[in-house]
Amino acid sequence: MADYKESLSGLTEEEAKEFHGIFVSSFLAFTAIAVVAHILVWMWRPWL
Amino acid sequence: MYRIWQIFDPRRTLVALFAFLFVLALLIHFILLSTARYNWLEGPVPVQAAPAAQMAPLPPATTQ
Repeated sequence: MADYKESLSGLTEEEAKEFHGIFVSSFLAFTAIAVVAHILVWMWRPWL
Repeated sequence: MYRIWQIFDPRRTLVALFAFLFVLALLIHFILLSTARYNWLEGPVPVQAAPAAQMAPLPPATTQ
């Protein structure tokens, strides 16, 4: 058990890396959609 | 940075994040619908001038 690396969530380092990649790409896609939505609303009725 | 997922459980984190974003989106959409400028269903509502009759002072009381 000496080489077993405990993590609070139970994920291994490889699993954490894989999930992080999906999470970051999903976040970027969400942000891109939000930016496009804000641009469209600004063209419709700017708020400043 | 990826080590955060060894601390926070990804499943619980995703459920919490989606719930938060859903409530936030609902809140923002309802706030926008409540405004005249950004209500995309009713369109801009012109500020209606109150009819003068409704704002006129009461006639003086008559004593009998």
